[in-house]
Amino acid sequence: MSNVKQWLKERFPIDYDKFVEINERIFIKEPIPEHMKKWWYCMGATPLILFSLQALTGIFLAFYFVPSPEMAYESVRHIVEDVRFGFWIRGLHRWGANLMILSLFLHITRVFFTRAYQKPRELNWVIGVVLFGLALTFSFTGYSLTYNQLSYWAATVGTNLIKSVPLIGESLLYFLRGGQEVTANTLTRFYMLHVWFLPLFLVFFLFLHIVVLRLHGVSEPEGFPKGKYFPFYPHHFYKIIIATLFLLAVMSSLTIILPPGIGLPADPTTTPFHIKPEWYFYPTYRFLQLVPLKVGIYVTGAFLLAFTFWPFIEPLLSKKNEVRRKISYGVGALTLIITLGLTIWESLV
Amino acid sequence: MINEENQKRRSFLKNFAIIGALFVAVGLFFRDLWLYLYPPRKKKKFHKYLVAKTDSVPLGKAKEIKLGKDPVFVVHLPDGYRVFSGICTHLGCIVRWEEEKQRFFCPCHKGVYDKTGKVISGPPPRPLDQFKVEEEKNLVYIYIEQKTGGPWS
Repeated sequence: MSNVKQWLKERFPIDYDKFVEINERIFIKEPIPEHMKKWWYCMGATPLILFSLQALTGIFLAFYFVPSPEMAYESVRHIVEDVRFGFWIRGLHRWGANLMILSLFLHITRVFFTRAYQKPRELNWVIGVVLFGLALTFSFTGYSLTYNQLSYWAATVGTNLIKSVPLIGESLLYFLRGGQEVTANTLTRFYMLHVWFLPLFLVFFLFLHIVVLRLHGVSEPEGFPKGKYFPFYPHHFYKIIIATLFLLAVMSSLTIILPPGIGLPADPTTTPFHIKPEWYFYPTYRFLQLVPLKVGIYVTGAFLLAFTFWPFIEPLLSKKNEVRRKISYGVGALTLIITLGLTIWESLV
Repeated sequence: MINEENQKRRSFLKNFAIIGALFVAVGLFFRDLWLYLYPPRKKKKFHKYLVAKTDSVPLGKAKEIKLGKDPVFVVHLPDGYRVFSGICTHLGCIVRWEEEKQRFFCPCHKGVYDKTGKVISGPPPRPLDQFKVEEEKNLVYIYIEQKTGGPWS
């Protein structure tokens, strides 16, 4: 044994004791504030867990998926109907995507209402918004890959929105689709985005997100005793393991109880009667139907800007913390009500 | 003392159960993963195909038919009927039956097979491929592999 150790040490001449020490300091003894013993406050790891599971199931799906108009739908059918445990892998991937967005909504809401974005953590909020945008792009491109009627037309309608971007809209759309229409080029482009570029960006920003988080430490919300910490291992570590197993169980159950279907194969000549995006685009979709397209896009853009830079906007509104908090809670509550309202409205019509 | 002993046994059993369950779970996971990644081997399926009536191929004669695009020879030998693929085992040219010499000849590289498909001379590396033959009443059938369509088979 010691021979092997010696051999390895000579090939990887690192200071082993130092390595252990750093590992202890960074991971095992990471100070976690006392309030994180409550489940409600430690759900930031959920998106991370789900992302890891998405990466894993995604790799497995890539063994069988073929991104071409002739084969995409057929290969999804093959995975679900022929490949052993294929329905499970795809179910996990599909439900994982939905839960990912859901958990991000919850995470964002929690961070907003505990005002964890305040100085000096403003940039981490911005990075988080970027991550949220990446997750939505992930979902959109992934959804389009199955190449059934709904995904084809969602891709068509969704990419059409890009045309409204001032000046470069037309060229951007042409570039994204790889042509005038949604074709084989679009499918391979979306596939490349989905399995290569987006994961790369996501991992990068996720890393930044966690580094910034660790540099400042987890923020301590008001109303909890300050300065009390416990080490990451074992309490929090096992919490994450439990959360992982719980999520796997939930996703597996959902896959069995509500298996994601594969729909009808894409038919570029017929638009289906009822065409809707995935539920997380409902608020935007409903809103865009309510107002003229140009107005809708500019208002959505303005909202996104305000949302992204809220940590920088909030301090400008008042010098008094109490007033700022009231404004933030008001704005947050209003956003939440509108978002939920539009979502429910869209799901009822 | 006895209590302590009990305690030890209890914690041993508990740990054993937990670690055992973990092993089972991890094992099952990898088993399922293997099943997912390793497509099941399909048994080849054959079906019967009528190639000739017995009286249409007299002793010492051969009849050429087509299976799709591929030529097949039904040969009547003293010990019964044999059916050969007409594709030369050398480089895939199509052989022809030479009745007067009772042999198959491949014009591409002068490969010669006798009437039982064995290589007599020339470059072919192995005898002509044969089909399993069945005679029923006065009909000759062969078994050909069932090729189910679709890109996954």
